[in-house]
Order: sequence, then C-alpha cells, then structure tokens
Amino acid sequence: MFEINKLILKKAKELGFGDVVVLSHEESRRQVRFANNEITVAKNWHSRKVELFAEYEKRIGSTTLMTFDEGTIEKTLKALLASVKSLAPKEDYYGIAEGPFKYRDIPETFDRKIVELDEPNEYVESAINAALEEGAKRVAGVLYTDHNKLYLSTSNGVEASDEGTGIEISVRAFIGDEESGHGTSSSRVLSKFDPENAGRKAGEIAKLAVSPIQGEAGTFDVIFDPLAFANLMSYMSFMASAFAVEAGFSFLVGKLGQRIAHEGVTIKDIGNMPNAYGTRKFDDEGVPTRETTIIENGELRTYLLNTSMAKKYKTETTANAGLIMPRAWNIYVEPGNHSKEELFSEVKHGVYITNVWYTRFQNYVKGDFSTIPRDGAFLIKNGEIERPIRNIRVSDNMQHILENIVALGKELYQIHWWEVDPPVFTPYVLVRDVGITKATK
Amino acid sequence: MHELVEFAVEKAQELGASYAEARFEEKNGTEVVMKNGNPEGLGILADRGIGIRVLVDGGMGFSSTNLLTKESVFDAVKRAVKLAKAASKVRNKPIQFSEESFHEVFYEVRMRKDFRDVGAEEKMEYLKRIEESVLGSGITVPMRFLSYRDFMWHKIFMNNEGAMIESIIPRVSITYNLVVLEEGQMEQAPFVQRAFSGGLELIEKDEPWERALNDVKALRRLIKEGKKPPEGKVDIVISPEVAGIAVHESVGHPYELDRIMGREAAQAGESFVKPEMLGERIGSEAVTVIEDPTIPNSWGFYLYDDEGVKARPRYLIREGIISEFLMNREYAAYLGMKSNASARAINYNREPIVRMANTYLAPGDHTFEELVEDIKLGVYMVSFNEWNIDDRRYQQRYIGREAYLIENGEIKHPVRKPILEITTKGLWSSVDAVGKEIEMFPGTCGKGEPGQGVPVWMGGAPARLRDVVLRR
Repeated sequence: MFEINKLILKKAKELGFGDVVVLSHEESRRQVRFANNEITVAKNWHSRKVELFAEYEKRIGSTTLMTFDEGTIEKTLKALLASVKSLAPKEDYYGIAEGPFKYRDIPETFDRKIVELDEPNEYVESAINAALEEGAKRVAGVLYTDHNKLYLSTSNGVEASDEGTGIEISVRAFIGDEESGHGTSSSRVLSKFDPENAGRKAGEIAKLAVSPIQGEAGTFDVIFDPLAFANLMSYMSFMASAFAVEAGFSFLVGKLGQRIAHEGVTIKDIGNMPNAYGTRKFDDEGVPTRETTIIENGELRTYLLNTSMAKKYKTETTANAGLIMPRAWNIYVEPGNHSKEELFSEVKHGVYITNVWYTRFQNYVKGDFSTIPRDGAFLIKNGEIERPIRNIRVSDNMQHILENIVALGKELYQIHWWEVDPPVFTPYVLVRDVGITKATK
Repeated sequence: MHELVEFAVEKAQELGASYAEARFEEKNGTEVVMKNGNPEGLGILADRGIGIRVLVDGGMGFSSTNLLTKESVFDAVKRAVKLAKAASKVRNKPIQFSEESFHEVFYEVRMRKDFRDVGAEEKMEYLKRIEESVLGSGITVPMRFLSYRDFMWHKIFMNNEGAMIESIIPRVSITYNLVVLEEGQMEQAPFVQRAFSGGLELIEKDEPWERALNDVKALRRLIKEGKKPPEGKVDIVISPEVAGIAVHESVGHPYELDRIMGREAAQAGESFVKPEMLGERIGSEAVTVIEDPTIPNSWGFYLYDDEGVKARPRYLIREGIISEFLMNREYAAYLGMKSNASARAINYNREPIVRMANTYLAPGDHTFEELVEDIKLGVYMVSFNEWNIDDRRYQQRYIGREAYLIENGEIKHPVRKPILEITTKGLWSSVDAVGKEIEMFPGTCGKGEPGQGVPVWMGGAPARLRDVVLRR
C-alpha cells in the first residue's frame, strides 16, 4: 500500500497542496452474532481504503479513496483542490507533525493465531454454555475477530506501518424479562481471550438479579461495576478532546489546572498499551502513541491534542490525532488499593450497578446527564448485596461523580463493547452521594 | 454494476444458498464544517461496495467487499455461504423468510436545486448565514459548531426471488450546536438538525438560520427569566418535537419485532411488548401512531425496503390499541405474517434489520389554543435536551430545554429543566387531546451491531397529558 500512498503524495504535491497525510487501511473483520442461545447471523468484511487529508494555504480538505488507479487519484485530488480553494482559511490551523519518527513494536498487539483462526463458533458456544451453567435461560451477544493493517505516509517525512489483531466477545444472559447480566472479554492475542469467563459473569449476575423490586429514588453511595463505569469514562474521553472542548461538547472547558475530581483519581489515555483494543503505534499524523495523563490526582492536566491544536495552545501534542478531532486510544483509570470485598464493605446503604446504557446530557458544558442501569442492580446493606432492584436511573453531573469517587478497586478490567468505545481500563469504583431517580407514573 | 450484483446472487445459489441477495450501494457527497467562525474543513464522501446475504441450511451469512471485481465479489459470496453453513450448526430452528411478491423497479427523488451543481463555497454560505444570524442577535454565543452535509445514495438490490430495486435518493442536512452565555450562565441547544431527502431548495425553504436565531433567543430568555417549574401532578402539553421523541422511543422501538423476539438483546435490548399484545390497549383513544417511510422529502424516505419489499404506512397504535409491529421477512415469518417493509441497512457493508423510518403522533381535532385553554397549572414543553429510556422501552425521561409555565389557560414565563420521567403506558394513557398541526424533526436512529445510524423523522401533533408528575 505504500506505493499507492507515495503516488498520492506525489500527485498532491504537484497540484500545490501543502500538508498531506495519506492513511491506508486494509481490514478483515469477522462477526458472529447470537441470541436465544443460537447464532442469528455470521458476517465477514473485507475492505481496503485510503483516507486522505490535504491542506492548501490553511484550507483543509479530506476524503476517502476506494479505487487506486492513477486516473481516479488525480481526479479526486483535483476535485478536492477545487473545492478547498473556494473556502476561507482556517485561521487556527498550525500544521502537521514533523517526521520522521522512530516506532517501537508494542507487545501483544498481533497474534498470527487470530489471523489463521478458521472457525470461531466454539468460543460462542463456550460463552453460551458458561452462562447457561450459571442458570441463564437465554443468552445473546456478539463475537468479533479483527485483523488490520495500516500504512501512513505524510508530506512531513512520515512513513509508518502497523499490523494488529484482536478477538472479543460481549455476552448478555437472561433469566426472565428483567433479570439479566452482562460480561465481556477483549484481547489482542488469543491466549488471553476468555469467552467462558464473560459468559459466566453474565450468568452469575443474571442469577443474582432474580425477582427484583422497584428501586427507590434518592441519594445513594454507588458501586459501579467496571462495565458501568467504563460507559461514563468513554463519554468523558470524548469530552477530553480539545475539539469537543472548543465545540461546546465538554464540561472540561476552562478547567485546565483545576481540581475536577477527588484527589485519589488519576485518569490517562494510553495509546501504546500492550494488549489493549485501541492500541496503535502512531496517531493519524505519525506521532508515536504514548501515555498521557488527563487527570492527575484530581487535577485536569491536559486535553487530548494533535499537533495543530497543541501549537495553538503553545504546548506539545499528546499524540491523539485525529487531524480534525483528537481522540482517545485507551482510557485508563488508575486502580486503587481496595479488593472488591473491601469496596463493598465501605457501603452501609447503597446501590451496586453492574451496567448502564443510554447516557445523555442535558447540558454538555455543565456536565448534567443521566444514564440507565441495565442488567442486575442491587441494594447494598452493610457491605452485603441485600436484594436486586429495577427501573432506576442515575441522574447526576459528570464532575460531581468524579469529585465523589472515594475508593477504587485494585484490579483493572478492559471494557470494550457496543456501548463503550474507545476501550476503557477501569476497576470497580465507589462514588458517594449519587442521584438516583425513577419513573413517577 | 447490475451485472456484478446479479453475478453475486447467481454464484450464491450455485454454492448452495436457498436464499441470496446482493446490494450495491454508492454514496457521493460533501460535508463542510464551521467551528466558532473558522471553516474547519471540507470532506468529500465517496464510498461504494457490495453486500451479500444468504441463507444456507437455515443459517444466515453476510459478507461485503469494496473491491468491485468479479473475483473479489465471488470471494465475498464464498465467505457468506461458508459462514451461513457454519452458523446453521448452532441453531435450534432454521431461519425462514416470509413469502412476498417482488418487483423490478427504478425510482429516484428529484432535486429542484441540485447540490451537485453547487460549489463548496455556497454550501459554506449556509453555515455563514447561521453564524451571522446568531452573532447579529446581540446574544453572547461563545461556542458554535455548524455542519452541512449532502450525499447521493444509489442502491441496486437483487435477490433470487425476482426483486430488482434500484433507487437514487439525495439527502441534505444541517446540524448545529450553540452555547449561549449570559449573566455567567451557559445554556445549550446541542445537535439541532434539519434534514430532508431532496435538494437544496428544502434547506432554503426551511431557513435553519431563523431556527438558530429563535433557539439562542429562547436560551437567553431562559437564563434571564427562567424560573423553577411546578412540581407534582400537573398537565403537560408536549410539542411535536417532544411527541416525536416519545413516539420514536416508546412506540417505534418496542414494536420492532426482532427486538421483541430477542435478536438485539445483547445490544439495544428487548421490549416490554410481546407478540400476544397485538390488540391490547396501551394508550388513550386519542393516541394513534403512524410509521410511514413513503412521506415525500422525508429524512427517513424509501419506497422499497432493503429486502425489496414495497413500503406502506404502518399503524403501530390505532386509537390506543397496539395494532402492528415493524417487521422484516425473517421475523414476519415467525408470526406467519408478511413483512411490512421495515428492513433497512445503512450501507453496503451492513445487514438489513428492522428499523423505523418516519414515526409520528397522528393529528387530532384540537387547536393549540384548545389544548392549553383549560389547563389551570401546567407546562408547555417545546424542546428537549436530555432524554433516555431503558432497554425494554418502558421507563423514559425527557428534560425540557425550551419550556413555559401554563397558568389558567395562558402561556407564561420560561421554566428551567422540567423533568418528565414516566412509564410508556403512563405516558400514552395520560393523553386526553391531540392537536391538529403536524411537524416533523430529523434524527439518527441507532441500532444494530456494528451500529447502523439510520436517518429518520419523528414528530407529529402536539398533545396534552393530564395529571402527570413533573419533577425539577
């Protein structure tokens, strides 16, 4: 694919473009979906595409190419140039990263066994069976295998490639209509993939959730399961992008250097983390990915930046390009020192929430939001699960949640599924005084 | 391209598929974005490929490719067949499709002002008009995110049962996020969208710059004059926008038969509705909810679905009674029924699944004044920001952005963040009157895995809810 990249770069230069970034992808992805203990559909995708970013005198254009003959490339570039020329300049554009860079191989991001895996249905059956063994009646979910190749070339001397694999499963187990549990497993290498554990967790929670009663509204200490807390963190990661901050989609606006979370809270983005689903060697302009501390001991340290935005704010890039919109790779919530039992023992009267969905904001800039627990939710009394509850809503504020984190588990879990992207590494988290509401008619 | 689509269907049958379909899709368009007055950039959308779906031994396989050669398409067919065979071994019952009659059809939506003839600069002008209208108001709007998007959506669908449907549908939309800062307080109108199937004449007639101006004026008034809403049991008038989100979330979604039968259980969830609830009362006699893909120029427009079935209006609720589910061929067959053309895919690389198109609360016989005139104490909810609903579609909440107190039949000052948190049956049973005038609002409906955000309209007439609990 580098040959195509080079040809596009050369043609773009000839036409008079300034900064040019060519990112080629070759993707093979497989999916097995299941519901009611049987496979509903199996899918396979194969695609090749080239994403092109091109600047002409501070005017930005982007497009995607699907066919790569010289004629198509030239036609596309000319059309892009004609359109871009007619625009006013983006006054706050400051260029792309100056390469070349050196890249290191990141452990546990590629596994030939996943590429060669002929038939993943046994993993689906093992997850279903584990959930059924725990007492589930119906099991649904999805399994993916991934094999991706990336080739990046820029007008600033970058030439980089990366090849990655992954396998993951998301399992939801049901006993009745309102008694369910969820588990996931994501891994870049086959040996650390654990579909059975995902199914078992889903089944265990479903079983614990049998015969729930209507939950009460009020203010409660809440233990968020990693699955639930990861959902909130994935929204926060979007809000940490400097783009979201500028566009009015973030409660972090104007808070750099301020205390926005409990002092025990440190949250990072780690782009080069081994065996993490979002890991890549380099960002979209070729900067080697790295570890960036977003919140350190409760204080907001940085937004996620690309080179242009970093220059605008007179700082260094965090290697999170997105050339238009910087984005997180893998969100990492620094673990604490509590075992799961110790965490529960901190709660006299509270709620354990195993999963949430449908997080929505009344006001992004203020951070007011609500999210809906799904799967098992439980009343905790004196450190013990007392009984399952249903039909409640977490209605609170993002910063308030961060400020009220009083304890974190010591074990981390990688969460990446339909509701959580980018991947989030998080422990169990105890938050004091969380607003809980319920329907009134 | 027809030849390649036909080739895929033929090859799939040769390899043993009892059912085979192939769908070519091509999207070409433009996007321009402006953030805080800066043109962020221009994107040219160019995407195309073929998706193949087959049934083999009662298992379903799907495969897609964007390499449009016979060799690559044949590889994709082989993969789909192989996957379907393997899937059939992990099934309790074979998948079957309902019997349908198919057609050979070409249809297209014509543009009066064709966006392909208009340069990027002129498209950016639409955003500039919003920018100027908002900034010219004298209101402080420190964060402004504006985007314009258009694309031609070309599809060719064939199956081995005689369907050949080709369509060309242009789509055009404008989206904005505006944050108003007055008196040290920030209020926000996020992700407001105007969207149509058709040409630029529809955007120009709609005047999103006027709507944006009204939005920032309403937000300023909310900051300056907004008071706490009443609490406890009151009457609420919901606008077409709020009625729209409510019918979408608590009528459209729970009536999707694939969801009812558990296919989406691990993602978007199941439904409080069961097949045997057809014919049961879910709302008052004032409530009729219609789902209609065929509304001209609508954001959810289509005349044939992505299984080649001819579309028609569907009455989900008729005078308070559950009267029809949304169905594709697979799920209609489980109930021994026929598909009502609800199968939609967002692109060539996605399977068609059961979706909404344009969902609305059918008009009643009240003027807006009549809805309000005998309310002693209540709230008129014009628009909403935060909303959500549980994954069985029974407990929903809508928080007003623009909302006003109603007192003794008159609309008074703005109220801040009135919260309606209510069950689906509670909501639709509380409606005692519906207005005459309909308005529709665009949205992107999320479902499926990988996600398929499909364009939909939702809306309808305003409605009056009696004796519902309002929180603040």
